[in-house]
Amino acid sequence: MSSNEKLANGTTGYKITKDDLAQINRRNLLGFQDGWNYERMQHSGYLWIILPTLRKLYGDGTPELKEACRAQCAPFFNTSNFLNTIITGIDLAIEEEEGIEGLEAVAGLKTGLMGPLASIGDSIFGSLLPTIFGALAANMAMNGNPLGIFIWVVVNILVDWFRCKQTHMAYEQGMKLVTTMSDRLNALTDAASVMGVFMVGALVATNVGIVIAAKPVIGGVTVDLQNICNMICPKLVPAALVGFVYWLLGKKGMTSTKAIFIVLVLSIALGAFGIICKG
Amino acid sequence: MIAWWQILLLTLYAGYQILDELNWYTCAGSAVFSGMITGLIMGDLQTGLFIGGSMQLTVLGVGTFGGASRIDANSGTLVATAFAVGAGMNPETALAAIGVPVAAILVYTDIAGRFANTFFGHMCDADIEKMNWGAYNVHYLLGAVSWMLSRMIPVFLALAFGQGLVEGITTALNGDWKWLGDGLSVAGGALPAVGFAILLRYLPVKKHVAYLLLGFVVAALFGTAFTSIMNLNANIVAVNGALGKGAVDMVGMFNNMSMLAIAIIGFALSLLYYKNNQRPVAAAGAAEGDDDDEL
Repeated sequence: MSSNEKLANGTTGYKITKDDLAQINRRNLLGFQDGWNYERMQHSGYLWIILPTLRKLYGDGTPELKEACRAQCAPFFNTSNFLNTIITGIDLAIEEEEGIEGLEAVAGLKTGLMGPLASIGDSIFGSLLPTIFGALAANMAMNGNPLGIFIWVVVNILVDWFRCKQTHMAYEQGMKLVTTMSDRLNALTDAASVMGVFMVGALVATNVGIVIAAKPVIGGVTVDLQNICNMICPKLVPAALVGFVYWLLGKKGMTSTKAIFIVLVLSIALGAFGIICKG
Repeated sequence: MIAWWQILLLTLYAGYQILDELNWYTCAGSAVFSGMITGLIMGDLQTGLFIGGSMQLTVLGVGTFGGASRIDANSGTLVATAFAVGAGMNPETALAAIGVPVAAILVYTDIAGRFANTFFGHMCDADIEKMNWGAYNVHYLLGAVSWMLSRMIPVFLALAFGQGLVEGITTALNGDWKWLGDGLSVAGGALPAVGFAILLRYLPVKKHVAYLLLGFVVAALFGTAFTSIMNLNANIVAVNGALGKGAVDMVGMFNNMSMLAIAIIGFALSLLYYKNNQRPVAAAGAAEGDDDDEL
C-alpha cells in the first residue's frame, strides 16, 4: 500500500503481524536499555524497539509517523525492563486501532503503568529472583561448585522467554490485561517474598563468617564468649551483625555504599584488636 | 603476573557484561559469574568462585531500584580476582581491600556513561524531526558504546597499571601491616551481612518474620550439625592414619550442607502460603453459607 493512501486515523491500515512482535522482542532483548540516560531514562529505547513497526503502521515519510515518533520518544519513560513490553503490546493494540488519535491515550497508558510495573518488576525480577538464585549460586560457588551459576542462567533464560511471551499477550488482550494481571501478580509476589525472607534467614546463618575471638578472664575464669553464644543458638553473632546493619540502614542519610564501608572499617578495627575473627 | 592476553579478555568481558545485565540478562553481569569467568581466564577457578560468591552475597540487596547508580560488584570482583591470583593475595583480603573499593569507584564511571547518553538522547530527538531513521539507529546504539566504555576503561587501567601498586600492598599486608591484613580478611567474612540487611529492608520482613526465623534456625542447626560431622570424619581419618589402619577413606562420604535442599524447604513454605492465601475467598463464602443455615 502506498503511503498516500491513508485511513482517517492517519494509519495505512496496516495489521501488525506475529513477525512484527517477534522483531520487537528481538530488539527488546538486544538493546532496550542501551540509550538509558539521566534525563529521560528509557525514552529513546521505547521508540527504538517499535520503530520498524511504526514505520509500517503510519507509512514512511509521513507527517503522522513523525508525530507518533515524537510522542513516543520525547517524554520521560522508565519502567522495569522485564515488564516494559506489556506497555508496548497494549500501546500497539491501541495505535493500530486508533492511529494518531490514540496517541493521547497511549501517553496516559505509559505514564500510568510505568510506575506500578516498575515496582512489581523490581521486586520480582530485580530483587527476589536474584536473591534466591544469586544466593544459591554464590553459596555453591564459595564451596567451589559452579553449578549454581548455571542454574541461575537457565532460570534467566526462562525469564527471557516470558518477556517475549508477554508482548504477544499484551498485544492480543489490550487494556483487559491490566485488570486480570494485577490480582494474580500480587498473590505471586507475596508468596515469592515468603521464600525470599526464608532464604535470607538461611543465608545469614550460613554465609556471615565471623565469631567472637575475645576470651576475657573474669574472676580468674576464662570466659569463652563464643561458646556461650553457641549454647543460646548457633550463629548468633552473624544474626546480631545483620540486625545492626538493618538498624543502621534505617538511619537518615544512610546509603548501602556507606553501610558497606562502615562494616569494612568496624571489622578491621575489631579484627585488629582480636575481638572478632573469621569463622 | 597478569598477561596481556588476560588483560585483553577481561577488558572485553567487562564491556560485554554490562550490556548483558542491561538487556538480555543471563546473569553474566552478576558478581558470581564475573568471579567464575575471571577465575577461568586467570587459571584459578576456585579463587574466582570464592571472591565472586562473597561479593554476590555482599550486594544481594543492592538491586536496580529506580535506575539509580549502584556499587559495581561485577567489575570489583573482576579486578579483585585478577589480583588475588596474579599477585598472590589471600581471596578474603582481595575482596575487602580491592573488590569493594573498585566497585565503589566504578559508580562514578557509571554516572559518566549515563550522562554521555543524555547527549545521544538529544541527537535521537533531532533525528526524528529529520525522519532520518538510519541516524536514529546509530545514535541510539552509540549508547551501548558509552555503557561499555564506562566499564572497560577503568578495568583496563586497573589491570594494566595497578599491578605494582597491588603487589606492594600485598607485601605490606603480609609484613608490617599484618594487623590490617587480618582485619581485612575479617571484613571479607562480615561483608555479606550488609547484603542481607539491605535485602531485608526491601522485603516485607514484618509481615513474614516467622519465615525469617525459620530459615535462620533451620540453616543454623543443620549447618552446625553438618560441619561437626565433617570435622568428626576428618578426625577419624587422621586417627586411622596414625594407627596405621590404612586408608579407611571417608572423605567424600560427608558433604557440606546443601543450600539447594534448604531452598526447597523455602519453596515448599512459599507454595503452602500461596495455596492458603487463595483459600480465604472460598472459606468466607462457606462461612456465610453456614450462617444462613443457622438463621
